[in-house]
Order: sequence, then structure tokens, then C-alpha cells
Amino acid sequence: MWAFSNKVAIAGIGYSVLTRRSETPLLALAADAVAAACADAGLTRRVIDALVTSPGMPRYGGVKGTVEGIDVVNPWFLGEHMGIAGQVLYTGSTNGMVTQGFIDAALAVASGACTHAIVYRALHVPPGSYVNYESKYAADQFQYFAPYGFSGPPAWAATVMRRYFELYGYSRADMARYIADNRANCQLNPNGYWRGKPLAREDYFDARMIADPMSILDCDIPVDGCAALLLTSTERARDLRQKPALLTGFAHGTHSPPWSVPMTLEDIWTGCEQVAARLWDATGMGPHDFDNAHLYDGFSPFVYLWLEGLGIVPKGEGLSFLRDGHGSLGGKLPINTGGGALGEGRLHGMTQLAEAAAQVTDRAGERQVPGASRAIATISNGLTKATGFVICRDEGQ
Amino acid sequence: MNGEAEPVPLRPLPLVDDASAGFWAAAREHRLAIQRCTACDRFNHAPSLACAACGSFDLAYADVSGKATLFSWTVIKEPPAPGFEGRVPLIVGIVELAEQPHLLMVANLLGLAEADLKLGLPLEVTFEQVSEEITLPQFVAAEG
Repeated sequence: MWAFSNKVAIAGIGYSVLTRRSETPLLALAADAVAAACADAGLTRRVIDALVTSPGMPRYGGVKGTVEGIDVVNPWFLGEHMGIAGQVLYTGSTNGMVTQGFIDAALAVASGACTHAIVYRALHVPPGSYVNYESKYAADQFQYFAPYGFSGPPAWAATVMRRYFELYGYSRADMARYIADNRANCQLNPNGYWRGKPLAREDYFDARMIADPMSILDCDIPVDGCAALLLTSTERARDLRQKPALLTGFAHGTHSPPWSVPMTLEDIWTGCEQVAARLWDATGMGPHDFDNAHLYDGFSPFVYLWLEGLGIVPKGEGLSFLRDGHGSLGGKLPINTGGGALGEGRLHGMTQLAEAAAQVTDRAGERQVPGASRAIATISNGLTKATGFVICRDEGQ
Repeated sequence: MNGEAEPVPLRPLPLVDDASAGFWAAAREHRLAIQRCTACDRFNHAPSLACAACGSFDLAYADVSGKATLFSWTVIKEPPAPGFEGRVPLIVGIVELAEQPHLLMVANLLGLAEADLKLGLPLEVTFEQVSEEITLPQFVAAEG
């Protein structure tokens, strides 16, 4: 068991408006999200003494925006522009994924290095497309991908989905219900980008194909915007405005595929299993201990591969679990109850953490899983930089 | 317009580095050469500075058979980069080289249609020159 299990809590959740291409600079959207997280907790920015993110624009090839406040928002820049730089004791920004930063922030709170930490992810959609490899030369690992037209993450996920389909006899039709139900969840999420735009199962068949079998509806929607979470000690959180969502435990993934490929089905399974084993060690829990799950859906196949890697269902049965509606609201294990990143927008896992916290504090409104007490959230594709979290209801008061 | 034809954009080219130089040099001579660890004999691709299995820095290139099977694939429907405008739908395969399990490589599958593709399809290497300096290993259906 993790020595600080249930001693750190999510005490505030804040979102900026999420739009496709905002007229508002990213800095202002980040400040909006931070202010919203503080207000949610009944606090002001004056108590914030840690700022943590992973700031990079996830673009491969071509112009990658690096302008502070426009393309990216680093903690030092945000602190200065919110007038709180002088009170910030701890910053984190060196990890590849913001959810790794969430762990750093939790450890900083647990150790006493800070008292109120903000973890935020601000993302700006670059001009043109995320996945147009405009550079003349491809360096490093990309020298084995980009000359073959294999430079875009949707194409990488497509090779995983294809192998899974071929091994188990599935087709895209088996994912239609999950995609439509997930979009329905988003209709109940005030932050969701796709709120107001429900989907029918048939829409999934007509969706624009990016890299067969990955369609546009299998990819999260890139947005301009920011989500922020306020972490503090459970003890302090109990005196704040909202019920605390307790961080019971976490795990990092460190499994990589061969350097010649970005991801494979088998390596994703291995990676998810590694995260799961570490998460059970940290929490004393197991795959069947949860009443809601928030499984990363930057690309849709990861949802069923996490179900399998976590051991919630056997290998090959994740997609039939979704096909049969067991992951929908009202199903055996409601998944991505706010519409996930597919519905809410690309925030690199903040969606999963925020939704887990909302569920275990009875704050999920029309999409509330009644009595939700134990949430699991997993981020990324199970490979190196993936993370898993158990977030629980506060039963201690 | 001065009468000159518009230059056709090239696909992105590999930026050859110290680790990859032997791979691309061999491809230019129409050989498929894969790094092999001198200490533990394991093949290693993509080229790296140390063996991922045993940590040895003693890696050398060895020619391989060029035989492979299809591990997975995708059919890319939208041009992923300049230079691919006339090349979609583009079949990208992940191929497993015969020399070692999970020894994987990315390549385009040439002369194959989507309907031909299945896991385990036997393949063999071919070579496609894309610039004065660069020749890409590619794969076609194995003969016989």
C-alpha cells in the first residue's frame, strides 16, 4: 500500500470554455480554468503554492508552437501572469504527460512541500492539422515512420485496432454502440465540446476514414482550452466547499514496444498489465473493485484494451463488453461517463481524472452513477508514460 | 511562370544519424541490414546505441534474409505529409522479420491491394529509391 493512500484529495475542478479555435489566448483560458478550480473549492488564487502541467503541443513534424501564452502555458509563465509567482513553492513541467505531473503534485502535497497544488493542461490547436508531417527530414524514431507516411498517431492506433479485429473477428460495427452511447454521455456534461450534438450509431459507419479502420469518430476532438484540478491534503479538503475525492493510489507505466514501431497490440496489453499490477500493489484493490471507470480514449481502441489489460475482462472480450452496452451509463461498469476525450475534448487525461473525482463526490449531475464510491482512471495507451489512478469517495468523516 | 515545372515535393526523408547510418547505407546497396548485439546475439531494430535486452554497447549490422510476415497494417486515406498527394490510399504495414519474434519494421506494402491483406501474409523486401541519397526498404508479397 502507498504510504499516503487517501491522504491527498482533489478538492476543486475547473474548466475553461472548450472550443475548436478560440479567439481568447491560451493564457487567459488557463487562468479561467485555475480560477474555476479555486472557486469550486471555495478558495482564491492566493492559496495556490504549486503549479504543475506538461505544457508541450503534441505535434509531429512541421511547425510546433512554442510561444508562451499562445501555444503553451508553462507554470512559471502562468504564475507570473496570475500575480502569484511570489507564493509558488513548487512547479512541475518536465514529464511527457500531465497525468504524470498529477502524481508529482500529489507527492508534493503529501510531503508538505506545498499545500494547494494546481494541476492543469492547456492545449492550443495548431494552424492546419495536427497530423501533417511538413518537415523535409524526419529525425530520430520518426525516420522509420514518416518516409512511409506513418507519422500520425491515428495511423499508429489503426494498426493496433486492425490486429485486434483480425485476431478476434471484430469489425467497426462492434464499436458503434459505444461511440453513440459515449456521445450521449457528453450531452449530460456541461463542459463537453460535443454537447448539443448527439450521434446515432449509423453516423459511425459514415464517419470520415482517417487511417482505416480508424475514423474521425475514433479520435478525440482537439480543442483550445484548459482543465485544472486543485489538490490538497484530505484533512484540509474536508473543510472546503466540496466533498473531497481521495487519491487512494497511482501507478506509472514503463513498458515500451520495440523502437521501430510506435505501438503494438501485444505491447499495449503488457503495458496495461504492468500499470494494473502496480496499481493493485499501491491500493490493495483489484480489477473488480470499481463502480465507475474512466479509461483513456484519445483513440477509441484504448478503451477496450485498458479493460483487458486491467483484467476487468479477458483478452479479446473488451470490445464485446462495449458492444453489449456494459460500459454505458446504467451498464455493469459505466465508462467515461462524461463522454471522455472523444466527447469532451482533447485534454490528455484531465477528463478522466476530473470525471472520476466528480463521480465519487456525487457531482456528476444527470450522468451521476448512483452511489459511485470507487473510480479507476487510466491515461494514455498503457505504454511508457501511461498512468493509472484509484480515486475514492471519502468515507472517513 | 517561367516555364519550369512545379517541383514535386518529396516525402519526408530520414535524417540519418550515427546509429542509423549502417541501416540506410545498406538499403542504398539493396541490402536489408539489421543491428545485432555482439554480446547476446539478439537483433535490434530500430537502430540504437545500446542493446535493449542486455545493455551492451557492442552492436553491429548483419544482413538478414528480407523474409517477413504481415503483423498488422493500416490504409491511410488522407495524405499524411507533403509528397503523398498521389499516393493515397496508402498501405502501411508492420512486418515481422523472419529472424526473430517481434522483430518489427514499418514499410509500405507495394503491389498489394487491401483485399489481399491478412495476418501472417508472407512478404519479402524490395527497395525503392526516393532521393539521390535515400533508398527505402519496402515489402512485396513473397514469391511462391
